[in-house]
Amino acid sequence: MPYDPHPNHEGFLNSVGSPIQHRFNPHTDNGGTTLAIAGKDFCLVAGDTRQSEGYSINTRYAPKVHELSNGSVLATSGMYADSVNLVLNIETRLEWYKHKHNKTMSATASAQMLMTVLYQKRFFPYYVFNILGGVDEKGEGCVFSYDPVGCYRRETYQAHGSSAALIQPFLDNQCGAKHQNIKEELLTLDQAMKITKDAFASATERDIYTGDYLEIFVIKKSGVTKHKFDLKKD
Amino acid sequence: MSIMSYNGGAIVAMKGKNCVAIASDRRFGVQALTLTHDFQKVFEINDKIYIGLGGLATDVQTLSETFRYRVNMYNLKEEREIQPKTFAHLVSSTLYEKRFGPYYCEPVIAGLEKDGSPFICSTDLIGCTTFPNDFVVTGTAEQQLYGMCESLWEPNLEPEDLFEIISQALLNAVDRDAVSGWGAIVHVITEDKVITRTLRGRMD
Amino acid sequence: MADGRYSFSLTTFSPSGKLVQIEHALTAVNQGITSIGIKAANGIVIATEKKSSSPLVDDKTLEKVTMICKNIGLVYSGMGPDARVLVDKARKAAQEYKKIYMEEPPTLILVTEIATVMQEFTQSGGVRPFGVSVLVAGFDEKGPSLYQIDPSGSYFAWKATAIGKNMINAKTFLEKRYNEQMEIDDAIHTAIITLKEGFEGAMTDNSLEIGICYCEDEEFSLPGEAGFVEGGKKIRKVGKFRKLVNEEVKDYLANIA
Repeated sequence: MPYDPHPNHEGFLNSVGSPIQHRFNPHTDNGGTTLAIAGKDFCLVAGDTRQSEGYSINTRYAPKVHELSNGSVLATSGMYADSVNLVLNIETRLEWYKHKHNKTMSATASAQMLMTVLYQKRFFPYYVFNILGGVDEKGEGCVFSYDPVGCYRRETYQAHGSSAALIQPFLDNQCGAKHQNIKEELLTLDQAMKITKDAFASATERDIYTGDYLEIFVIKKSGVTKHKFDLKKD
Repeated sequence: MSIMSYNGGAIVAMKGKNCVAIASDRRFGVQALTLTHDFQKVFEINDKIYIGLGGLATDVQTLSETFRYRVNMYNLKEEREIQPKTFAHLVSSTLYEKRFGPYYCEPVIAGLEKDGSPFICSTDLIGCTTFPNDFVVTGTAEQQLYGMCESLWEPNLEPEDLFEIISQALLNAVDRDAVSGWGAIVHVITEDKVITRTLRGRMD
Repeated sequence: MADGRYSFSLTTFSPSGKLVQIEHALTAVNQGITSIGIKAANGIVIATEKKSSSPLVDDKTLEKVTMICKNIGLVYSGMGPDARVLVDKARKAAQEYKKIYMEEPPTLILVTEIATVMQEFTQSGGVRPFGVSVLVAGFDEKGPSLYQIDPSGSYFAWKATAIGKNMINAKTFLEKRYNEQMEIDDAIHTAIITLKEGFEGAMTDNSLEIGICYCEDEEFSLPGEAGFVEGGKKIRKVGKFRKLVNEEVKDYLANIA
């Protein structure tokens, strides 16, 4: 008989005689995959729209890529409720910034701000893996990738979410020219679109949390355009 | 940490046009510590069948010896070469013998059947077989390999193209897995010969 | 094997170097009902006479030609109960093989398996040799084959042979009639007339048992993928064993007249 720290406990006991602990876990994973690729004068941000919990699909259309008021795009994956609140929080701060400084926040500044916002909740984090895409001050595409507590880094391409492990090596190969005897160059928009669609089609085949629809946002200096494609729904 | 990822490793097999390919990384390590980069995980059964064993390294070696023993006994007893499908079932029943104390090993098999058609198979650690029409993967880089294979593979690849595809799939997959990599080996099995090449990857 | 007082082998060498128990077992076989086996160009025929001790016996229940697995069957001469034990063991061995390889056993593998059992019964403690010889007919990837296994555990491959009471006459007859080009139909015919030589009384479909091994086309797919097709339907040749039903036997008998 193992040592029981509560010998007189009168509640439910498990088979070895120690109390069963029930605990509320405030975080959940709603699945989904996001991806971003930076180009010379554009940035592409994409995500599927499936929202699931365990083996059930809550909805086939819950967009997790959000266009922000400063013209950048935030792709969120992880816990959906947290991501909604995070986007509201960011939007509020973008609004305040505009009132205070009479200009919209730059993509790089909003990237820094997102880190601050995430780290403020260091000990009860937003359970969200973010990718921020935009066009920087020089007019070049920029991608910032985050962990839930704000650790971030500028990348040229990044995948996050339930299919990150499937897509990231593919991006290494196709965008990063890894293991190919060619020089790494920034992609054209057409190339980036094709790779993104292929990556999601492949991920949908093997990952039950990815599928339904694919939303691709293309950010240029001139503005943001949104494209929607079908993915398999099984 | 799971026993299956104690040593790390990645193995993939693919069908082509009248050929099959099987490839693995060559790392042997204990959790994060890499010990050697010439570890054998793919074994020749005969000139038409290769088996890749992914999982716990000690079981990889024990099983490869067990299969060698059983196939040698088969060859002597039956006076014929074992066929891929038959070998797959031998693997399956060997693993199921240890149903309640299994070998921590998930094999993939690549071979050419008697009529020259490609054959691939994978089983779980207690011998549940699958015979897909495209590719099979196993090991700690399984997810990465699925992502790569699903986007690179296409039907009816010629031997040289199949070699390129399987190599790209493996090299890029293992670079995103901390416990796989350190070089790779690829075998392409064709009707008249087996092409074996070792690849140099990132050594970190 | 079993230990204790009777754990010594009952089969012991005589001073002249013979195992008389085995010779006695062979004598028992030679008193048994004749069985015939013929290898045809496209298969094997095994046949025997079904003799009942009394007209009151329901001879529909007697079975001397038996199926071991899909592609292999056997017939025996000698002691019925001994043969039944052997058939049980052979069927088990065939299923054991199939359990490992998901494939029917090749004929020779099953023959050695049966022969091993019979040999063990000449050397183990507390047992006696089997009082039967068997003819094993099988069809595998190497084609049709016919084997005889004796109580000693020795086995031989034949083009045509006979065991049992009338084997000497039957063999002489077969030597004259046999040719390698004959097909299953001819072989059945030959088997019947060979048996007829030593037959007492009228030959009817109830007093004759015939089994044949042959080759058949079978559609197949990979296990785990129902109806798997790649480049159209796949066909493979598989060996089959089956017993002729009374109506078929009747037709062959009618042709002899």
